Amino acid sequence: MVQLRPRASCTPAEADAMVDEGQPASEEVAEHGLLLGQPSSGAAAEPLEEDEEGDDESDDEAPEELTFASAQAEAREEERRVRETARRDKILLKEKRKRREELFIEQKKRKLLPDAVLEKLTTTSQTNIKKSPGKLKEEFDFSVDLQKKHEGHDKGSDSKKAGTQKVQPGSQNKSYVALRLKDQDLRDARQQAAKAFIQNSLYGPGTNRMTVNKFLSLANKRLPVKRAAAQFLNNTWGAQKKQNAKRFKRRWMFRKMKASGRVNGS
Amino acid sequence: MDAFGGPIWSMTASPSGSQLLIGCEDGSVKLFQITSDKIQFERNFDRQKSRILSLSWHPSGTHIAAGSIDYISVFDVKSGSATHKMIVDRRYMGVSKRKCIIWGVTFLSDGTVISVDSAGKVQFWDSATGTLVKSHLIANADVQSIAVSDQEDSFVVGTAEGTVFHFQLVSVTSNSNEKQWVRTKPFQHHTHDVRAVAHSPTALISGGTDTHLVIRPLMEKVEVKNYDAALRKITFPHRRLISCSKKRHLLLFQFAHHLELWRLGSTVATGKNGDILPLSKNADHLLQLKTKGPENIICSSISPCGSWIACSTASRFFLYRLSYERDSISLQRVPKMPAFLRSALQILFSEDSTKLFVASNQGSLHIIQLSEGCFKHLHTFQPQSETVEAMCLLAVSPDGNWLAASGTSAGVRIYGLKELKPHCTVPAYNFPVTALGIAPNTNNLVIAHSDQQVFEYSIPDKQYTEWSRAIQKQGFHHLWLQRDTPITHISFHPKRPMHILLHDAYMFCIIDKSLPLPNDKTLLYNPLSLTNESDVIRRRTAHAFKISKKYKPLLFMELLDERTLVAVERPLDDIIAQLPPPIKKKKFGT
Repeated sequence: MVQLRPRASCTPAEADAMVDEGQPASEEVAEHGLLLGQPSSGAAAEPLEEDEEGDDESDDEAPEELTFASAQAEAREEERRVRETARRDKILLKEKRKRREELFIEQKKRKLLPDAVLEKLTTTSQTNIKKSPGKLKEEFDFSVDLQKKHEGHDKGSDSKKAGTQKVQPGSQNKSYVALRLKDQDLRDARQQAAKAFIQNSLYGPGTNRMTVNKFLSLANKRLPVKRAAAQFLNNTWGAQKKQNAKRFKRRWMFRKMKASGRVNGS
Repeated sequence: MDAFGGPIWSMTASPSGSQLLIGCEDGSVKLFQITSDKIQFERNFDRQKSRILSLSWHPSGTHIAAGSIDYISVFDVKSGSATHKMIVDRRYMGVSKRKCIIWGVTFLSDGTVISVDSAGKVQFWDSATGTLVKSHLIANADVQSIAVSDQEDSFVVGTAEGTVFHFQLVSVTSNSNEKQWVRTKPFQHHTHDVRAVAHSPTALISGGTDTHLVIRPLMEKVEVKNYDAALRKITFPHRRLISCSKKRHLLLFQFAHHLELWRLGSTVATGKNGDILPLSKNADHLLQLKTKGPENIICSSISPCGSWIACSTASRFFLYRLSYERDSISLQRVPKMPAFLRSALQILFSEDSTKLFVASNQGSLHIIQLSEGCFKHLHTFQPQSETVEAMCLLAVSPDGNWLAASGTSAGVRIYGLKELKPHCTVPAYNFPVTALGIAPNTNNLVIAHSDQQVFEYSIPDKQYTEWSRAIQKQGFHHLWLQRDTPITHISFHPKRPMHILLHDAYMFCIIDKSLPLPNDKTLLYNPLSLTNESDVIRRRTAHAFKISKKYKPLLFMELLDERTLVAVERPLDDIIAQLPPPIKKKKFGT
């Protein structure tokens, strides 16, 4: 049987705690914490004495009398409350987990292709394997991302850009090649690495290269009749200005012609 | 087929020709078996740490040397394991931060491995012990290529500075048996990197980033010291890359990966001889057709009426129909071209633009009939001989009756188009044909060969013409025969049957068959001052070859109509301005 120690300083709070849930448990912890936190100047019995002393200081009355029945009722109440909170916590956790699971299933579904296409894939791939495994197939464009990645891969996909219509692979009768994007990433990464290597080793930092401008200028300098250094012009510089000037010139010429015409005519 | 090793850096075939080795980006060396119909993967050798940049077989086929970054490995072919790994110094007797890239390796039959690397060294290694025997520092920049002669007594290396070095195996003293490798000759004929070299029995051939191909005959190997033994520098292609539509004044330029269509400008001004007239209407860039994918365009052509454009790559054939509305132009592709037209070597339209002639690389000749937006395969002339002839030139007569086609070995074959049957064959000549042309009314076939000989053959009579026999008997002027570049295009004047117009890269010439032929003593290139001399002197010194060197380098020249000639120049400076940067060289006085 648990003998509850009198908690004089906390008695008014206890009444509120009856209404509030979850508090008594924390209060007990806090109480214990308080007691443990005090400088240990003696045995465990001391805090009790202190409490009692504190009690005595505030109230000169005798400690409360707690009957066994009330204490038991309180204890039962406590346990019930604890059980309640534990159950509620469990229920909440369960619900959270359930919602998470559903979310994952939803995302996975979104990532996969629509069912109809998957069916087609499995059935046609089986029939194609039976027919001719070594034939080169055209591409089946069912996603924009795949199309972009496979541009460099397929031999048959080169076509002229200007003025031609892109072949719309809307029909399901075309054969296709399905590839993993991971393979294409690895291939692209290797190609990038190779290109970067050759560029760095031949023209990168540390190589003793000079610009074409300087090369041509040196040639000019060594000619029997020395010429000035070569300079590269940027023809696109000031394009708008040049256009405006041309238009102005045309308008001015026209005005001049008209004026002189009038003078001549009159 | 995919080798699954990433980008492939090097490839070499075994001395027996039945196996193929490939060095990949991920450091693996893969062995393939070559059978008559396909290439099959056999196995992988031991995988190395860094990418395999160069490979070489031992002449007996038992070992290979693989050059990588900072080391060379020697593999045993039977087991596939690396027997030796030779570490290369990053710098000649020094330390450097930049890695040493082995650009080329060669395996000699006595077990010596020769390696060239990016530090400018040529090193000799002993593959039996895996040790360095000798090291030569020849350049301050990379040495990028190496080629060994068949007898293994000389090899040539090319550097990034544009220098080509010749190494020879010479005896130490004049009567000792001991030999050593000595660097004998440097040649500086390039301005940019020399990326590839080859060693023929009598010459060293080098080519690189500066777009020149240089053939240097070795004097000690050359039998007869004549003009053939001089240095040859080939800058411009020996094929026609520009086609012209005479009716609409359009030019089609063929680049490596795209085609450009330009309309020529026009002028209304007039002037005297030698003036440059201002354009009233500028040249117009009408169309640019790009190919997707890595393949180059092999040949292209535009029809004389300007309504059809055809071009061929290694795997596709494209035919486009152009329509002109007032000022705009629209393009429509003709779909589903037949498969036998792929990788055509030459495409030609007939003068009335109704027929398309395609010479395929299998040796057969296809004739396609073109009509409003569609085509019909008319006929195919199969190759007559068993051998497949590679290079092919086509010429069609303006009246549409005859088609001439040339290959490498047999003479020029002439086909009659009305009956679709072979007509005759011009006797074979031991030099290849570089240009063909059929004259408008007389149907004379003019053939230009690579040794600068020009023949005229009459198709209806099936024999050489009188003029051709006369000039063969007399022989061409020695200066004409000493020209470097071949004749790439022959055209004719519609109203003057005596004139033949030809051009090569540095001159264009009108041959007037009515004038006397020059002998070796006369001046071939008429000087300009002659125009001011009196008529009598001009008539006395005039000869059949009227040559002008005004426009050079000339890529194309054609007679548009009776009074207009179009010439396309390609200045070398323009090409140099677009090249990658060369190695810095310190020149005295700059």
